[in-house]
Parts: sequence; structure tokens; C-alpha cells
Amino acid sequence: MTEWLRHHRGLIPYLFLVPGGLWLIAFFVLPLLTAVSVALQEGSLGTGYRLTFNFGIFPEAIARWDDQLVRSLQYGLIVTALTMLIGYPMAYTIAFRGGRYKNILLLFVIMPFFTSFIIRTISWKFILADQGFFLGTLKDIGILDQGFRLLATPVAVISGITYNFLPFVVLPLYVALERINPKLIEAAEDLYASRTQAFLRVTLPLSISGVFAGSLLSFIPAVGDYLNAELLGSRNTTMIGNVIQRLYLVNNDYPQASALSLILMLGILVSVFLYRRLLRGQELTI
Amino acid sequence: MAGSTGFAPTADRLPDRRRPLPTRIRTAVLPVYTGLVVMYLFLPIVVMAVFGFNDIQGRFNFTWQGFTLEHWANLFNRYPALNQSLFNSLTVAVISTLVATTFGTLIGLALTRYEFRGRGPLNLLIFLPIATPEIVLGASLLALFVSAGVSRDLTTITIAHIMFNISFVVVTVRARIAGFDRALEEAAMDLGADELTTFRKVTFPLIFPGILAAGLLAFALSIDDFVITQFTAGQTTTFPLWVYGASRIGVPPQVNVMGTLIFLIALVGIVLWVAFQRRDMTARPTTLER
Amino acid sequence: MITRRSLNPFAVVALVGALVLSACGISPEGSGEASTDPGTSQDPGASTGTDPGGEAVGGGEPEDSLNFANWPLYIDQDDDGNPVTIQDFEEATEIDVTYTESIEDNTSFFGTIQPALAGGEDTGYDIIVVTDWMIGNLARLGYLEKIDVERDIPNFVANADPVYLERSYDPGNQYSVPYQSGITGIAYNPELVDEEITSMAQLLDPELIEKYCGQIGMFIEMRDSMSFAMIHNGVNPSEATLEDAEAAQQTLLEQAPCVRGYYGNEYADDLANGSLAITMAWSGDVFQLQFDNPDLQFVVPEEGAILWTDNMAIPKGAEHPNAALAMMDYLYDPEVAAQVAEWVNYITPVPGAQEIILGHADDAAAEGDTETEEYLRAVAESPLVFPTQEMLDRLYSYKVLDEEEERQWNELFQEVVQG
Repeated sequence: MTEWLRHHRGLIPYLFLVPGGLWLIAFFVLPLLTAVSVALQEGSLGTGYRLTFNFGIFPEAIARWDDQLVRSLQYGLIVTALTMLIGYPMAYTIAFRGGRYKNILLLFVIMPFFTSFIIRTISWKFILADQGFFLGTLKDIGILDQGFRLLATPVAVISGITYNFLPFVVLPLYVALERINPKLIEAAEDLYASRTQAFLRVTLPLSISGVFAGSLLSFIPAVGDYLNAELLGSRNTTMIGNVIQRLYLVNNDYPQASALSLILMLGILVSVFLYRRLLRGQELTI
Repeated sequence: MAGSTGFAPTADRLPDRRRPLPTRIRTAVLPVYTGLVVMYLFLPIVVMAVFGFNDIQGRFNFTWQGFTLEHWANLFNRYPALNQSLFNSLTVAVISTLVATTFGTLIGLALTRYEFRGRGPLNLLIFLPIATPEIVLGASLLALFVSAGVSRDLTTITIAHIMFNISFVVVTVRARIAGFDRALEEAAMDLGADELTTFRKVTFPLIFPGILAAGLLAFALSIDDFVITQFTAGQTTTFPLWVYGASRIGVPPQVNVMGTLIFLIALVGIVLWVAFQRRDMTARPTTLER
Repeated sequence: MITRRSLNPFAVVALVGALVLSACGISPEGSGEASTDPGTSQDPGASTGTDPGGEAVGGGEPEDSLNFANWPLYIDQDDDGNPVTIQDFEEATEIDVTYTESIEDNTSFFGTIQPALAGGEDTGYDIIVVTDWMIGNLARLGYLEKIDVERDIPNFVANADPVYLERSYDPGNQYSVPYQSGITGIAYNPELVDEEITSMAQLLDPELIEKYCGQIGMFIEMRDSMSFAMIHNGVNPSEATLEDAEAAQQTLLEQAPCVRGYYGNEYADDLANGSLAITMAWSGDVFQLQFDNPDLQFVVPEEGAILWTDNMAIPKGAEHPNAALAMMDYLYDPEVAAQVAEWVNYITPVPGAQEIILGHADDAAAEGDTETEEYLRAVAESPLVFPTQEMLDRLYSYKVLDEEEERQWNELFQEVVQG
């Protein structure tokens, strides 16, 4: 066999690509195409669906659910900002001050995520309960008003989503920061840069690939999340994910649900594209 | 490199006892902050673990009613459906990890070491599943299965899990393979090894940590997956789905116990791995920097 | 820009796939053995549509095994979680029962069995327990086996409360027999609510709930919440028209800003932990909650409430119909019904069970077990488990919706719960 391989060296990469590539085409590309097809169909579960190329479904869906679409984007951006604000100093500390404990600290960051996502979110529901251990005590002491509530508010939902995606931000940031040679920072300081300046003009730009990766890894799932809104939120925090889920699983309105899924995906891709443009622009000025 | 430019060393490079207090506080800020964040990350875990010991009388597990080990004792007796769901989760996770890691590593190798046409579209194909929200992935798969008349069960769940795991494996493995120094391979071949042997004895062991990391990531993603699984599961239950269903009624303490158990097993595994890594320091890839 | 370079193998495959798929649609449900004319609209409360597969199953020897799907916590359990009545049945009949609690929700359960039924295949279940309106749907679609209660379920004929013999969703019990019933009413926490709740308006009228804003609970199940709004508007839900539904939606939209959430079963948590002051609730849940918190009140509002019934039915193509019928008959034995009612605390269709539970209470008293005695007496005497005639007269049923109506009502309701 090695003989055959040597003769057909050019084919090797394609052979390697075939299993995974075909799988992705069959179970990622094809479903998306099916979703496009279903979105353009009309009908119902009883009468069957017919492909009528109903492109009108897209503007209709956007108009009907504009609030939820906008809200999802908003929440996504807030979550991304929060995870970045919380996660960056943490990644920085681990990368530059971690020393021998770097790996252990990283593991501490990931470990909570070895329990089920649902259990964690339910625990948050418990922690944030109106009369639960924390809020209840604060209310009894008098610091908080009896009518104060965290659950069923946007705060709870955003907090939940932030919590869930924090490690996804810390890890890529860490990887990018860890690669920076500390001597570069020293050199900057030797050249009279203050610590802040050294950070802003050396460290931050050098870690930009981590910032980019981290923000994507939190923004994208955040926008499409629905569990946190379902368990911790209320009617006013309905995200587009909740709508899609209900359309699919309760209303059985497959065309509208598929159309919204595609709109969501498109929105995310456009945002990512614009974001990438934005960061590229930044790099050039340094 | 203190003092190399001839200027006096700055305050934080002084040995501890000579550092002024404000500097010490300032230096402590980041580690303290990190500690707080870690506590924040662990808070729900602690709550979950503690309430696995709650001696509840009725259905509701939200006020402390006493300590008991009963739930740990009858962990696998109380809810047969829970056991089945855990078994399903493990089955899917193991299969999807093995398959996705294999496929993904192959793609990673192809991407980093070979020339071929279609690199751009391939990168897009790998990246898109990560960029797509889970609900879109799950819903489209459901659309596909429904259109094709395929009924949803453990197989469809596994298919879905393999799909999203491939991308994560490629991304994880690629970094490791790219950082690998080809000079080592060339050295091996100079010494007479053919390609297959070189791969087996030089390349593979050195990229293995990356493959392992990718495999662990895939396993974790699969075990915990909810959204995609909810759409592709049909009647089957996996652990996250069971917990979700139970949460509508009242999460039994056994769920807390199981969550704690999973966490502890992972903890033990990681501790062992770190210890193993410490011993194995020489196995790192050789880049002469650092 | 499409160059020869970018037209690589992947893209070609994708395009071909797209073309192939554009020819596909999703096959309609009910396209199995028995298809119905999708265009007919259902006459509300009329008998359940077409009559395919006219022969009733049964009349034979019970098979060796049985697959029984039910809701969680809906049959008596011992401390290890074993379903006691099922085990008793297994011992008595030597039929091996696989009892699964796989029904969380009527619609999603239907979603899981629909593909098999549409394809004319065995769902894997011999008995399923679904709510009355779902029975109506399934029967209309031809997805249920007909049964002959006179021949195969004599205990039902002998022991069931007469009110269950002519229910609108399955008159004459051609397809199903009741399992348990329950009342959807209003529950409230007197610690948070200083007045007595007696009317729907105190749940739905925005002015009256203003002071409890953010502590009001409603159900996410469309039929429940919409029916409540209809009752509030003076309409009988089982006869509601589209206009009534739209008016109900308006009522719910006006109430929405003060609603804390639209719940499934988990409302009980929030009621118990003080997050909800006034909420829609199920009689069985509140009965159980009252053991932990005796102050909680359950009310059938003066305008009315809903009596729902979960029913046992045999899906089409079931492998063990005779065993299924045997199980149904077993559950109508008053002793067995009492045993189940003592645990489940919902409304049993066998009124004779009440006497038996009182008898058990007396036995417990004789043994000096006052705790059990009190509990059993509470069960036997509670109007939540054995409702009075006066309560029953105020209770309505859900409407059996045809597909178009269901779609319309779902659309109306989605705006209420998701905006």
C-alpha cells in the first residue's frame, strides 16, 4: 500500500478529507439546504407541504419577530462585552502570572463545565430565587426591597448566558496571550512606556486574535440561546431561539421556523464579517 | 533583566520584602480577582453538590431540610429512566468522540501538511458549524430527517453529535499539528524510516496531546449537549434531556448527585492527567524559543 | 466571483443536493392506512369524525407482555420508585409490563409517535395516556384502535362514574377510557394575597391584579390559558369560535405585563417558594402542596374552570391489545382505583374508591397509625380528589380543535407567550 500511496501522493490529502468532509456535507450542508427548501414551502402537517418558493416568508418573519431578533442581538452584544471584560483580566493573570499553576488554573476555569449545562442553569435559578438563600436573606435584613426580583428579568437571562460562555472566552484569550513573549513588554517598559501604555500598545494588539476568537465563541451561541431565557426569563425576554423552538416543536410551523433559523444564521454571519473588517482596520493603524 | 539598561529596577521587580505596600496591593489585585472569578464559576456547582445531600420530604428541593446520604445510596435504583438516559449519553459521547476525532484529525493533517485545491471552501465548511447557533443546526437536521422520513432516535443523535464535533476537533488539532516541527520528521527519514513508520513513531506521538485534547473537548461537548439533541432525539432521552424534563416537575436530588459525581470523576481525571503531564515534560514539541 | 478554482467538488455536491431536495416536501401526517379529508372542519363537540378500521380490537387472550406509556408521577410508587399497581398487575396476570414515563406533554409525545402511525407501523406502545383533546385528534386521524368496553372492560361499565360515559371528545368510549381527571383552577397563597379569591377576574383583570404584578402565573399550555380567558369572557370553551379565541387573546394580552411566567408543571415550585401569589393550577398538585403548606388555597372560580381527563387508549398497530384491555379493566377495580388515587391524588373515575379509602383510613386508625389515617381521610374527603356535584356543574371541557383551528389558536397564543 505504501507503494501505491507514494505514487499517488497528490491524492492523500483528498483521502484524508473525504470522511469528515462528506459527513459535514451530508449532515450540515444538506440540512441547511433542506431548511432553505422547507422555508420556501407552504402547507401544514395535515395537508402536506408543497414547495411554492414562497420568498415572502422572509420579510414576513422578520417583520413579525423583529423585537425578538433585535433583543437577541442586543443580549448577544452585552454578553460578549461582559465575558470579555470579566474574562480578559483572568486570562491575562493566568498567562503572565500563572507560573507553574497555569494549567491548574485553566482547568479550574473549565471544570464547572463538566456538569450538565441544564443543572448549572437550574442551580442559578435556585441561587437567584426571589426568596432564596441570597436574595431572601438580603431582603430580610432590609438591604433589598421585598418586591425586588432577579429572575424573570433580562438581568438574570444575560447573567446566565454570560456564565455559560465565560470559559469559551478565557481559553482563546489565554492561548493568544500565552504566546506573547514577555520580553516584548519589558522592552516597551524599558523604552519609557508606562504599564498601561505597554498593555494598550503591545499586549492588547498582540492578543487581538484571541479577542476575536473569544468574542465570536461567546457572541454566536449567545444570540441563538434559548434555554437561559426559558428557565430564567419571562415573556419580555423572549429571544429568537425561543420563538424558533416553539414554532418547530409546538406550532409545527416548519416553514416559518426554518426561515427564522436562516435569518438568524445570516445575521450572525454578517455580524462576524463586519467585526472581522473592524478588527483588521484596527491592526493596520498600529 | 533588571538593570540591564542601567536604570534602577522598577518597584515590582524588587524582592518582596523591599516592595512598598501599595505595590503589593496592586500586584495582588489580579490574583484576587482571578480567585473571585473562580469562585463565581464554582458557585452553582457547590449549590448543586450541597443539595444532593438534602433530606427532602416532598417533591421540592429548594429549602434545606436536613442532611442525608440516601440519594447517594440509591442513586441508580430510584429512577430507571435516569440510568437509561445516562447510558444513552455515554454511548453517544463515546461513539461520536471516536468518529469525530478520527475524521477531524485526518482533516487537520490534510489542512496543515498538504497542498490541495479547495482549501478556502473547506475552511468555510469547517468554520460554519461552529458559527451556526445550535438551534439552527438542530432545527435544520430535524428538517432533513423529517423530510427524509427518518425517525429520530439514538442513531440520529449520534449523527448530529459527530457532525458538530468534527469542526471542534479540526480547530483544536490544527494548532497542535501546525506547531509541529517538520525537521524531526526529516531527521527520522534521513535515518532510513519510511513515511508510515515516521508517522507512527515520530509524528503521531508528538501530536497526540493535541488529538487527546480534541477528543476530550468532543466528549465534553457531546455529553452536555442539549439543544441539538432536543431536536434530533425523538423519544430517546439523554441525560441533559432527562434533567430538563425533570426540572418541569421537580428535579430529584439524584440529579444533583449525578452532576456532582460527573464533576468529581472529571476532577480526578484531570488531576491524574496533570500529574502525568508533569512527569512527561520532555514530551513537549521542540521549538527553541522558551 | 466564480472562477474555475472555486467550483470545487464540495460546491458541486451541494448544488446537486439542493436541486434534489427542492423536489422533496414533507409528507403529510395521516397518510398511513387511514387518511382523512383534511379540508373538513370539525363540528365542535361532534363525534370524532371518520370511522376507519371499524373493527374493535380485543376479545382474545391477553398476550404475554405490555408496553404502557404514561406521564411522570402518575401511578403509585413505593420508596424505590417502583410502580406498585403495575407490579400487582404483573403478579395477578403474569403479563410482563414495560412501564415508561415518557409522556411529558401531549403535543411533543404526539410528535414522537406520529411518524410510526403515519407509516402504519407499531409505535411500540400498547397503552398511551393522553388528554381528552388529543384523544379527539388521534381518533379523527385514525391513529387509535377501536375498543369494545362492554365486552372487554366490564369493570369500567360497572364502576365508572356515569359522567364519563358520554364525554364530547369520545362519546360511547369507542377509543378510550378515562385514567384520571383533574381540575384546572386557581391556586393562591394567602400569605401574599390578603383577599379571598373567588372569581376569574381576580386572575385575569389587569386592574385587579395590579397589586400582584409580577406574581401571577398562567399556563403555557394553549388550551388551558385560552379556555380560562374564554370562561372569563362568559364563553363556554368547548363551543368557542374563532372570534371568541381572538377575544380571549386580547384578554390575555392585557393581562400579560403582570404575568410572571407561562408555566408547565414547574409552577408548583414557584407557588411553593413564594414567587407566585395567584396562579393557574392543577387540583392534584395543590392537594399535595397543601401537605407542606396547608395555607395554600385552590379555588374553582364562580364563572367556571376546566375539568380535563387523561385517557387510556390503544394506538393503531399495537402489538398487545388484549393485554392492554386487561390492564384497563384492572384499573377500574375499585380496590385498585383506590390504591392509585391514594398516591396520585387526582380525580379517579371510580367513585367507589372513596368508600374504600375511608375503609383504609379506619384500618390505619385501628392500627394506631394516625399519620396515615389522617392522610387517607384527607384524600377521601378532599373536594380536589372527589369533587362535589356543585363543583362539577361549573366545570367545562376543552374544545376538540381541528387542524386549522389549532393552527389559528396556536398563532394567537404564541403572541401572548412570546410577544
